[in-house]
Formats: sequence, C-alpha cells, structure tokens
Amino acid sequence: MRKFSSRKGALGATRRPGAAAGHQVDAVPRLGPAGAVEEPSVEGKAASRPRRADAPAASASRPLRLRDALRGQARVVGVLLAWSVLEAGQTFLLGYALARAMDDGFLRGRQGTGLWWLGLAAVGVPVGAYGTGRVFRGVAALVEPLRDRLVRRVVRRGLGDAVRGGGSGAARPADSAVVSRLTHQVEIARDAFGGLVMVLRSFVFTAAGALAGMIALAPVLLLVVLPPLAAGVGLFVAALRPLARRQDRFLSADEAVAEECGELAAGLRDITACGAREPMAARADVRIEAAQRAARSLARFGVVRTAALAIGGQLPLVLLLLTAPWLLSSHRVTPGALLGAFAYLTQSLQPALQNLLHTLGAAGTRLGVILARLTAPEPPEAPELPEPPAPPAVTATEPGLALQLRRLTFAYGPGAEPVLRDLDLGVAQGEHLAVVGPSGTGKSTLAGLVAGLLRPAAGEVRRNGEVVLVPQEAYVFRGTVAENVGYLRPEAGPDDVLAAVAAVGADALVAALGGPEGAVDPAELSAGERQLLALARTYAARGRIVVLDEATCHLDAAAEARAERAFAARPATTLLVVAHRISSARRADRTLVLDGPRTVCAPHDTLLAASPLYRDLTAAWSPAPAG
Amino acid sequence: MAVIADAARRDAGRVVALGVLGLGSAGLALVLPAALGHALDLLLRGEPAGRWTALCALIVGVQAATAAVEDLLTGVTTARATAHIRRTAVRHMLAAGPRAAHRGTGDLVTRLVGNASDAAGTPASAASLPAALAAPVGGIVALGLTDPWLAVVFLAGAPLLTLLVRHFARASADCVTGYQHVQGRIATLLVEALGGARTIAAAGTKEREAARVLGPLPELAAHGRTMWHVQGRATAQAAVLVPLLQVAVLAVGGIRLAQGALSPGDLLAAGRYVLLATGIGVVVGQLGAVVRGRAAAGRVADVLAEPVPAYGQRQLPPDGPGTLELRGVTAVRGGETVLDGLDLTVPGGSCVAVVGRSGAGKSVLAALAGRLADPDAGTVLLDGCPLPDLTETGLRDAVGYAFERPVLLGDTIEDTITFGPRPLPPRAAEEAARAAEADGFVRLLPAGYATARDRAPFSGGEVQRLGLARAFAHPGRLLVLDDATSSLDTVTELRVAQALFRDHPHRTRLLTTHRASTAARADTVAWLDSGHLRALAPHATLWPDPEYRALFGGEDA
Repeated sequence: MRKFSSRKGALGATRRPGAAAGHQVDAVPRLGPAGAVEEPSVEGKAASRPRRADAPAASASRPLRLRDALRGQARVVGVLLAWSVLEAGQTFLLGYALARAMDDGFLRGRQGTGLWWLGLAAVGVPVGAYGTGRVFRGVAALVEPLRDRLVRRVVRRGLGDAVRGGGSGAARPADSAVVSRLTHQVEIARDAFGGLVMVLRSFVFTAAGALAGMIALAPVLLLVVLPPLAAGVGLFVAALRPLARRQDRFLSADEAVAEECGELAAGLRDITACGAREPMAARADVRIEAAQRAARSLARFGVVRTAALAIGGQLPLVLLLLTAPWLLSSHRVTPGALLGAFAYLTQSLQPALQNLLHTLGAAGTRLGVILARLTAPEPPEAPELPEPPAPPAVTATEPGLALQLRRLTFAYGPGAEPVLRDLDLGVAQGEHLAVVGPSGTGKSTLAGLVAGLLRPAAGEVRRNGEVVLVPQEAYVFRGTVAENVGYLRPEAGPDDVLAAVAAVGADALVAALGGPEGAVDPAELSAGERQLLALARTYAARGRIVVLDEATCHLDAAAEARAERAFAARPATTLLVVAHRISSARRADRTLVLDGPRTVCAPHDTLLAASPLYRDLTAAWSPAPAG
Repeated sequence: MAVIADAARRDAGRVVALGVLGLGSAGLALVLPAALGHALDLLLRGEPAGRWTALCALIVGVQAATAAVEDLLTGVTTARATAHIRRTAVRHMLAAGPRAAHRGTGDLVTRLVGNASDAAGTPASAASLPAALAAPVGGIVALGLTDPWLAVVFLAGAPLLTLLVRHFARASADCVTGYQHVQGRIATLLVEALGGARTIAAAGTKEREAARVLGPLPELAAHGRTMWHVQGRATAQAAVLVPLLQVAVLAVGGIRLAQGALSPGDLLAAGRYVLLATGIGVVVGQLGAVVRGRAAAGRVADVLAEPVPAYGQRQLPPDGPGTLELRGVTAVRGGETVLDGLDLTVPGGSCVAVVGRSGAGKSVLAALAGRLADPDAGTVLLDGCPLPDLTETGLRDAVGYAFERPVLLGDTIEDTITFGPRPLPPRAAEEAARAAEADGFVRLLPAGYATARDRAPFSGGEVQRLGLARAFAHPGRLLVLDDATSSLDTVTELRVAQALFRDHPHRTRLLTTHRASTAARADTVAWLDSGHLRALAPHATLWPDPEYRALFGGEDA
C-alpha cells in the first residue's frame, strides 16, 4: 500500500464557506486541514482565472428585451420606414382623391374629373402595395438576426446547463424542453416579432397618411379626430403592462398543466400500481383550475381592448357627425372633405387600430414574455452547482506520481453528507488502477474530481499531465469517423486515427462505416459501437492520464479486456478504470475498493485477504451459481 | 363531436348568447354605414340631423358594449370548456392506466393540453360563425340595395381575390418545409451534444460544440429570409385587390352620383360595405378554427376511447397466503402472442423468478400478475379470487410493484417513497429506504428526505432503489419485482434481497430477472420460452442445461 489512508476528519472546521457552493475561491494561500500553509489548490487557481471562452456569452446573458432587437439596426429600420412611406401615400391618396373627386367632379356633374382623381388613387394602390412587399424584406432583415440570436442563446444555454456540474445530469435540461424552446418558442417569438413590426409600422404609417390627408383637406378635422384617437391608443398602451403580466401568468399556468400531465402520462403504470389514481387526479385538478382562473382573468382584461377601440376608432365618427353642422356652415370643410374624413376614419384608421390592438394584445405581450423566458440569465434552480472549472492545470506531484489526491472531500450540497471524505491516494506514472465498490460509494464522483469536472469541498487533486475522461454514455456526433476519433486531437492524421482505432479493437466497426472518412450517424450505432469510437478517440488524444468511468459497460467481456489492455500498453499512460465488471480489477496493478470508512487500495491478492467487501464482490460476480 | 357537444351543453346559455350577440353586432355593423350616410346627407343638405346623429352614437355605443361582452363570453366559455375537457380526459387517462401509455407521453400531453384547448374554443368559434358569415353576405346585399351596379362591380372583382389568397397559401407552404428541415437538423445536433454533456465538460469543448450545433444557422436564416420575401410578394398582391375593388366601386358610385341616382352618404356607406364584404376572409378563418377544433376534439376523443378496466366488489379473504395463479393465460402484444395459454402457480409466501430471453414475455407476465393489464384469454387469481372481481383498493393494497425503470412521483424524496393512495406513518419512508439500500444516498442529498425530487440527480441504480423503497413502504401479500434490481451491483442487490426476506418473510414474491445470481436466490425459476413455460424448477437443477446458462450469457462472465 502506497501513500493511502482514510480518516474521518472534522470537516466543518476547515471547509471554507461557499467553497462547495461554487463561489469563487480566492488564490491566497490558505490554511490546510493540518494547519500548514498550502499552495493554492488547482481549483483555487482555476476559479480565480478570468472566465473561459464562454465569457462573451455570459456577459450577454441578461434577458433580451424588444429594443435590443432593434439596436444597431438603424439602417434596416431606415429602409423599412422609407418603403412604408409608399403605404402612407396610398392611404393619403384614397381619402384625398375621394374628396377631390367629389368636390371637383361628381358633385359638380363633372364625371371626367371625378374619374381622373379616382384613377390617381387607383395608381397609388399598386405603388403602395409594392412598398408593402419591400417592407417584408426589411422585416426579414430585422427578424432573422433576432431569431439567430435566440437560437444561439438556446443552444449555448442548453449546452451550458448540461455541462454545469460536470455534465452529471443534475442541471441537465430535459431534451424535450430544449427542443421545444428551439423549435416552438423561438418560432413563436419570430412570428410575433415579425407580426408586431408589420402591424405597428402599418398603424403608424396609415395613421400618418390619414392625418396628413385630413390636414390637406382641412386642418380643423384633426381637432375632432386626433384627441379621441390619442386617448384610445394611450389607454391601451397604459394597459399593456398589466396585460403582459396576465399573459405571463396564463402561459405559466398552462405550462404547469402540461408539466403535470406529462408526469401523469409518463407515470401511468406506476400510478396504477401504487393505487394513487385519485390523489393524482386531484392534483391535476388544482393545476387545471389555476389555468382556468388565469384564462378568465386574461379574458376580463380584453374589455380594455374593446374600450380602446371604441374610443380611438368609433368615437371620432360620432364627434365628426356632431361637429359637422359647425364645420360645414363655417365653410371650414367642404362636403367632399367631410366624406374624405369619414372615409379615412372607417376605411383606414379603424381597421389599422383594430389590427394594432389585436396584435399588441396577443402577439406583443406573448413576445415579451417568451423573450424574457428564452433569455433568462441563469436558472434559479440548482444554485449550488458550480460552473465547470477550467480544464485542470498540470501541477507538481511528488516525484514518480501521475496523480495525487490529498485529503480529498466532496459532498453534493452544503448540507449533504460527503460522498468522499479525506481520501488520500497516489497513482504512479504508468500505473493501472481499478476502482470498485457498491453503488453510491463515489466511484463516478472520484472520476469527476480527477478529471476536474467537480470541485472538491476540501483537499486537492494534483495531476502531472492532462486527464482524459471517458464517461459511461459515449458521445458520438454526426460527422466522419476521423472527426469523431480526432475530436480531442484535431491535428491527428488518418494514420493516427487508424492506429487508435486498431489499438482499441474498433477496426471492424470503422471498416464497416467506410474508413476514416466514413459517415457516423449516432442513431445508427449501438451503445457498444459508440463506446468503441469514444475509446478510439481517447486513445488518439494527447492526455496521458486516462480515466475510464464504466466506459466499456456496453462491450462484451472480451472487447472490454482488449480495450483496457490497449490503454495499459499505451506509452507513458496512467490508467484509472472505474470497473463495471470485477474482471477489470483482475487486470489492474492495484484496485481501490471504495467503501466509506473501510476504503482500501491494494493489489488483488492483498485485497482478497484485507477487504471483506472485495471478497464479496469477486464471489458475487463469479459465474458459478450461488445456490 | 361528443367532446365539443358536451362542453357546449354545459355552457349552453353562454354559447347561445354568443351566437345572438354576434348576429346582433353584425346587424349593427351593417346598419351603421346606412345611418351614417343618411346623417351625412342631412348635414350636407343643411337639414337638422340630431336624431340620426344620436342614432349613430347609440349604435356605436351598443356595438362597443356588445363587443366587450362577446370577448368576455368567448374567453370564459373557452376557459371553462378547456378545464372541463382536461379534467375529463385526465381522469379517463388515469382510469385507463398503463393501457393508455402506448401513445407515448409527448403525444398524450399534446392531446390533454394543446388539443383540449383547441377543441374547447370550438363552441365559441361555431357560435360566432353565423355572424362572421352575416357580415360579408350582408355587405354584398347592402351594396346591392344601395345600388345594384355597385354589387355587380364587386362580384366581378371578388373571384380574383380568392385566387390570389390561394396562391399565397401554396407559395408559403413550400419554403416552410425547407426551413423546418434545417431547424430539425439543429435540434438533432443539440440533443446529441446534450447526451454527451459529460464528455464535453471533461474535454472543455463547450464552445466548439456550440459552434458545431449552430453550423446550419446561416442556412436557416437564408430559408427564413426567403419565407419573408415570398410572404411579402403574396401580401403585396393581396394588398392590391381590396383597395382597387373599393376604388372601382367608388368610381361607379361617383358616376351614379353624378347621374343623381346616389347621394354622397350612399357613397360613404358603399365604401364601408365593400370593406365588410371583403371580410369573407374572416369567415374562412373562423371556419378554419372550427375545423381545427373538430380535429383537435377527435384527438381528445381518442384518449377518451381508451378502454377503462372495470373493478369488482369482492374483498380478498383476510390473512390469505398470497397464492398467485395463472390459468390458461394468453397475451397478445402488437399482433404477436407473447404468452400462450400459460399455467403457473406461485405458492403463498414463496419466491418465483421468471427468466427467459428478451421479448419472452416476462414483463407482460409481471403486468398481468397485479392487473396492470388484463390477459387476452385466461384468468389470473390471487388467493382464489379472479383479479377483475376485486375492488380497486383491495387489489392495489394487496399487490406491490417495483420496476426496472420506476417513474418517481411526488414532490420530495419522502413523497416519492410514500407515494400511494393515503398518507403513511412518519418514518415509513426511512425504514423502507433502509431496506432498499437507498437511505445512504438520500442522506447525502442537500436536504435529505425533504429534498425536492426534481432537484436531485439520480443514477439508474438510485432510481431503482427508490422504486424498491416505494414498494417496500406499502406492504401487501404479493410483491412483483419486474427486473427491479438490474442496475444494482451484486452486493447491493444481495443486501436488498436479504432485507426483503428478513422484513417480509411471508410475502409472495414474483420477480423477473436477467441475472443468474438473482434467479439462484429464488425458490423456483419459471423459464419462459416462446409464450410457454419451458421449465419450473430450482436454479441449481436448471443450471447444467447450456441453453439455460445461455440466458445469462456474457453478463456475469
């Protein structure tokens, strides 16, 4: 037994508050458990370094607001507005030409003049429509970059959440949730934003065209029309914020129903088996009722929209009728102008306002809510999970050691009992170490700590070389064999790839895939085939400390033995195997038996004598029947 | 559709009111232009128009009030119907139990949430359909009443409108497909990368992965821009038509005015009627909503059509030994007979291990034993009572289940273990967890047994042990373990088995397994092969048979 001991230490006194909670740990030398001044640990250094490559993404992770989508798009907005002027011109012409056609033409019996003016309005129609068509290009130039940003955020956020906490799955979002964000919610945001830009712009320019037309006909008309229009729009704008809140509550309540239904649907067998049908139905009822209340509250608020439309769109009609005797008698307004004003109100302003209120009320508030959700800075849940620390730096170990654990302690939460406590272990350069133990004794945790995925609560990990971790769930992505195998060493040539493939016994698989340039579709591969590719990738990597965390569990015993021997024979390689089968321990130089306070590390023969658990394990895993 | 009709019946008053109000406001919308026109004519002639002005104001006021009430009624009716349909469907799904699960979770949720609310909107959409139809039809009629020539001009131009709208629908559908295809590619890449989170975390390649997943993004943006351009062209084409129709009607109206056949007020009204008449698009939209609602209701109805097992009135004999009997049991799954007239008796208090190749029907047998499913033929009896004769409570209290992949339910870890029809005594969760070797890792959680379930990451083995704890916490005479220890290492499995024998020595146990060591501990092994019982004997008796040994091949080598 080399440098190994395990003691129950009084953690509370020495563990720095916050260290386990993932807070930044300063790089000042600190008192170790024994009271001696230590060098700052690897983790301390890593934490104090500036954040890694994802720093720009992190700094941009405040919630996205609507105006962010417009920032820096001045030119696009300018072009958009310029084309919209054509639409305003069309609106202007429709009312103005009607007024002139009446006053100068039809009302005086001059049909030719009347038709000439209406013909002019007709010419304006395709011109305005052409403008509308061009406006869509501007909308595309505004909306598509926003969509790009949202997709980037969703992807980075999904990956970030999955990787946080060492990819252990603690904060890992459900695939379905991420896909829904990527395909469904981003699309709602895209459509809503596009619709909003179109409708808002259309209202502004239609209103501008109509109001300009009234000024041209008789400025006094504005006195009658503008105040109620402004009041109606103002009322609605004032109501937008409470409306958005209700919309938010409604969406949340509906999501809660979906979540509950998802649990029920996924758990039908278990609910039936436990006889828990009634309590679960009652639980679902509560959520369904809450959703109903939220929907009703949203519906009640729809009254504000109707009121706004009545005030802004209909009231001017009545006012115009009421003031018409005065307007006409004082010759401020001609009959044609009055007709034109009515036309502006009923044909242009009212429909545009109705469209605006409808879109703002539905799409607008929904967009705000979805933008805020898609781009929320950090998940409120699981705050104790740290960002993955930087890839561990190479640090000095005692001479001859590749890996050195000193009083290593780790717990999954500040209040939780440590999984590993005061673990001391040295692994020699070129040594082959197996790790065995019952479920839950910290085998994978140890692998994560060695690879730097987890930050110890106390103690330290020193590594005299780069660590490569191969987890149980092999990651193979869509691409060529060479891309997958060369993933950790991009400069690897085809010969390196083939050598690594042959070493771990993946040559038949790679030949079947069509050689190094063959395409890999992860969905087409079995779990074992994916593990073979991941092993070849690890073999080709630069790192000299290889950690196989049940990385061969889907291979048959012979394939597993071949792969492990390949790594053991790999030049200058220190191998740490978290064993799936006890046969892995038989091949190792030494085996670490993780068993809480009875943890031991020794060669096979010594362990048979020293560890009752090890004896149990070897007996239990032997092929002969026990009974 | 029964679903919609049922929801509409429950809110009949509101639905009828919606229809009446809708027709009323459509009528008002048709009367207003005429009244407005008449008032304008009076004003232009210099005559007093006070009464007509007042009438217009009244119409506008009533219109606003009607619209408000309509909005409110639509919202309330839809919300109530949504809740009703969801409650009904959820209860039915729970009553159908595992039989409904064949649709898949995602599909069921879509039906219970999205489809339910789409279907619930149908009564309101249908109620306002007559009004939506009345406005354009009324507009054309009013146009004709104002002057027949105006209606002729409109009807001649309208077909063009329909053609253009149809062209738009086709053009946009084409480019949407390309867009969704690229979107799907990004989603696939992302899901793959999420599955490799630990590798990515260890290699520190998060940024590289993000770049790889986002690789197709420029292509997506290109498709997206094409969509907007196509939509822009189509919208521009459609945007030409309505104003041109209006100008054409106004031009003809102007000529008729000059001829003295029309008044300026009539012309004003005509302009408004053209707009109402082109609102035929609203009808199409409303009709579309009704059609979609019916389709959605159909999808909800599929869930409601899932057969619900009936329970009987009988109680089990108290203190029965827990003898399980399968008599001539046949089960068909996906057209294949997985169990074929199987006879098997598990004596009370004994432990029988069911083994067989994958797909031999082990899990189906486990499901039949506690009536998670009914056999297609034959009978399953517990202490002499056919299972369908038992009350639901009696059956569930008597039979406990643990699964290979248990679904954990309940808010905290404690709730997860005590999950069932009624609360359990305090400390029940801890005792059960200790027996299932789960106490150790639960204590390592931030808040122990009070930790929220969704905050605690569990490995497959830990989930299995919580599932076992749940089964142990609810004692009954029969315990069915369906491959429920497959992810435990052998030492842990041994401890769990010992606890099981120690704490409940008289419980009948039926377990399915792939492991020789598990089969070895059972009193008897039932070897299933091609739907039949190939052998029923102790493990040691069967072990010399190489075909028997092959069942456990490789795994324990």
